[in-house]
Amino acid sequence: MLLHQFTDMATRIEDRNSGRLIQPFTLALLISVCLTGCQKSSEYPSRPITLVCPWAVGGGTDRVSRQIAVFLESELGTPVNVVNATGGQGVTGHSRGLRAKPDGYTISMMTLELSMLHWRNLTDLTWEDAAPLMSLNEDPAALFVKADSEFQTVKDLEAAIEDRPEELKASGTAALAAWHLALAGWLISLDQNPTDVIWMPSQGSAPSLQELMTGDLDLVCCSLPEAKSLLVSGDIRCLGVMADDRQASDDFKDYPTLKEQGSDWALTGWRGLGIAKDTPPEIQEKLVTVLKRIVGGKARVNGESFPEFMDRQGFDHTSRPTTEFADFLKRNDEMFGVILNRPEFQSVQSGPVGPNVFPAIAGGMFGLSLIIVLAGASRRPTASITGIAAANNIVDAATPHAIFLSGCAVAAVIFHMLAADTLGFVTTSAIILFLTSKLLGERLLTSAIVAIVASVGIYQLFSGLLRVPLPIGSFLLF
Amino acid sequence: MSDAFQAALENTFTLKVLLVILVSASYGLFVGAIPGLTATMAVALMVPFTFFLDPVSGLAAIVTMEACCIFAGDIPTTLMRIPGTPSSAAYVDDAYCLTQQGRHQQALGVSLVYSVVGGLVGALVLIFLAPQLARIAFEFSSYEYFWLCVLGLSCAAVVSRGSIAKGLIALSIGLLLSCVGLGSTHSVPRLTFGIDELITGINFIPAMIGLFGLAEVLRNFAKINPELSSPDRATRTDRSTVTGNWLSRGVAEVFGGLIPRLKKSGSRIASSSAIGSAIGMLPGAGADIAAWVSYAVSKRRSTPEEKEQYGKGSLDGIADATTANNASLAGAWIPALVLGIPGDSVTAIVIGVLLMKNIQPGPGIFHDPVQLPLVYGIYITFILANLLLIPLGFLAIRAGSLIIRIPRQIILPLILMFCIVGAFAINGSYFDVGVMLVMGLLGVVLERFEVPAGPVVLGIILGGRLEEAFVQSLTKSDSLTAFFGRPIAAGLGVLCIVLWLAPVISWMRRPRLATQPSPPLEHR
Repeated sequence: MLLHQFTDMATRIEDRNSGRLIQPFTLALLISVCLTGCQKSSEYPSRPITLVCPWAVGGGTDRVSRQIAVFLESELGTPVNVVNATGGQGVTGHSRGLRAKPDGYTISMMTLELSMLHWRNLTDLTWEDAAPLMSLNEDPAALFVKADSEFQTVKDLEAAIEDRPEELKASGTAALAAWHLALAGWLISLDQNPTDVIWMPSQGSAPSLQELMTGDLDLVCCSLPEAKSLLVSGDIRCLGVMADDRQASDDFKDYPTLKEQGSDWALTGWRGLGIAKDTPPEIQEKLVTVLKRIVGGKARVNGESFPEFMDRQGFDHTSRPTTEFADFLKRNDEMFGVILNRPEFQSVQSGPVGPNVFPAIAGGMFGLSLIIVLAGASRRPTASITGIAAANNIVDAATPHAIFLSGCAVAAVIFHMLAADTLGFVTTSAIILFLTSKLLGERLLTSAIVAIVASVGIYQLFSGLLRVPLPIGSFLLF
Repeated sequence: MSDAFQAALENTFTLKVLLVILVSASYGLFVGAIPGLTATMAVALMVPFTFFLDPVSGLAAIVTMEACCIFAGDIPTTLMRIPGTPSSAAYVDDAYCLTQQGRHQQALGVSLVYSVVGGLVGALVLIFLAPQLARIAFEFSSYEYFWLCVLGLSCAAVVSRGSIAKGLIALSIGLLLSCVGLGSTHSVPRLTFGIDELITGINFIPAMIGLFGLAEVLRNFAKINPELSSPDRATRTDRSTVTGNWLSRGVAEVFGGLIPRLKKSGSRIASSSAIGSAIGMLPGAGADIAAWVSYAVSKRRSTPEEKEQYGKGSLDGIADATTANNASLAGAWIPALVLGIPGDSVTAIVIGVLLMKNIQPGPGIFHDPVQLPLVYGIYITFILANLLLIPLGFLAIRAGSLIIRIPRQIILPLILMFCIVGAFAINGSYFDVGVMLVMGLLGVVLERFEVPAGPVVLGIILGGRLEEAFVQSLTKSDSLTAFFGRPIAAGLGVLCIVLWLAPVISWMRRPRLATQPSPPLEHR
């Protein structure tokens, strides 16, 4: 409704001032710049910070990221927005976070996978590309069996693996991901072949535990908090924790470590914050100071501290600051190097079905159905175009002018992709909105007003209310 | 029982909790109506705040937000052809066709009322059957999931608009796209063509926005001819034709004819809700499969004349699919509460919130005198949220419908912008905007050859899960008979085969045009 009045009003104004074409748009652009704010301050942080989480919304790492963001926000006095850059088993998120501009406005949540991805040649990013700020959490892996399993202790399990190699089946994550390597490392420490237990790849601990309950798996390797519900309900049993010492928390202190049972293997999943390596030292120092207050429990938001939050979630909250964290990362990296450089992991594990089988089936299906359709079409050449296609006259629409207009829409999207990082979201969007609505025949002033109001509105909506960081643009700020 | 229930009532019906419910319902509707933002995203944004709320308010906020968000996804689906959630992709063509006929308010009215009905039935299943049903999840191993994925995909291909072969083309494109990147099943990058970014894989949200939303924008851009026609403002003149005040006019436009429709559709509601609840409570299978299966069942049980309407504006199709996807929401809470295994990504967050409040999900939750009122609180909120959805959803429909009245030369650029932002928002990456653009062009090509886009989306979503279940099953046993080795797996497998054979058989007996009875899905 408001928009009608706007457009009506705009039409009337424009009728009076016809001929003066470009001023309204320029003026409006200036207003938009002022509305989005162009403060230039030397004090860090002067604008919102993005925290890149390499794992999906809803998982453990996401929960830790979102909570530390709340504490960072209250301590730094600027919004800290979490972005989930998922995919590629962690490659995407770690690269995005650690290869961002080293200006202190992109912080990276790092996980265990950082230490192993480069050994698998999936990325050349290593922990040395990061300036480690603070580790936040260390949850050891553990071995779980179903409550009615024949294995009562780790010794039973070890004996069974020795007697019947390549028979027991385990899961917990994707192949060659963290918990698979935890299991493999344990087997190596027993002088067994890491392939003596068959690894069934899965999306994560929850589906693996469910498979364990169906009785199709013998063993699950994942972290303690991930298995907590089924442990408490007595559906599964923990045979051994891959840590140097027993866990301190009440929930897990009763579970024995592997070390107690004669093995020398420990593997801990960790999470920590890092930042691009070339970030100015004073910014790093400021972040570390703030993080120390947070993990030390001194920072409180609404009366709660970060360690209290981690306790309640069942997460461990061991933390290591900068150099200690770097040291830990170095050892972690070397450990995975040893495992992943073994001959068993050098060639791709194909299992019963190679990686090309599924795409081949899908491709074959595509070819086959294409042949059926083409054969059908040649038999019935008179088949008329019906349905939505006819309703929209798209067949008639393929005139040069129509193709030009659609091409403009495509060009607008490409322009947005190329220009937004430099010009900023608001300017880029305003230009696109103005030009496209002008192109489609809207009056000049209306186009300009709509372009400004909408681009500023969308920016405020996403950046402010919904906390999706949109590109600010470099030339407005620097 | 009664003590805990009374405590739950007292805890829930306080001014504070009711206010929290109202605010989160509005927030959920708002976020859900924005293309690209999902219910999971809405809940995740909310979690840091639940930290400061008492458990009752925190959980009430999440339940309400989720219910409202899923319905709100139907608003851009209907008005702009941008599916708000993947489950809306099952009926996007129906809903958008109705909009083109000027019946968008009716479409959204049906969607709203059946969402509420599905949500309420799903809540009742959760309330009365949760402890009994939860253990079924432990009967579902990779074999059953394999068949469930095949069933969902088959439904999409068999029932979609156009011929089955074209449905298959769309499906195989989707499956191929799902192979792109570094998946969890095979730890090698596939189909990346040397482009580093493709290791991430194709996210279904930008793909969905491109295939439907951008494709529609591109086609509409092509249709406008500014030199021939003056700016199109005709749509604004028809307001005087309906009489009465704002409210009664709105109610007539949105809810008109719904009471007789509801009276007729008792058995449809029962089967759609059963499908929704059953699929929803399986971890890893959710509203998307539920909506497609329910849409397929709905089409199968229709008369030949009604069948013609599917894909071209069938209200029955929208009603059945939306009932199922809302019923599945409460279903996902069953394994989460009873076993501590999340039924979907929202309940994964919920488990985190429960732990944060010192509540350990699991069978014990039903026996603990402190935690039981909270469980009842969740039940009560499910009912309240769904009832509240009627007036709030009505307002959202009325507000959203104003979009239709905005002149095309203004709204098209805005929709284009929302496609860009929506694709960007999910991962904060312009790579996804590129994916959206390519998918938009693909969408135009598919549309030109009358290949449906819905199965492409479902193929992207389920391809990974299907392959995983397939590889897992073969890792466990080399023999193919194992796929029929268990009762549920065998049942689902036979169902899939029947679904594929039915069109073949009816093609062979073509002169008689016999329709097969609908498969007995509810018995699973």
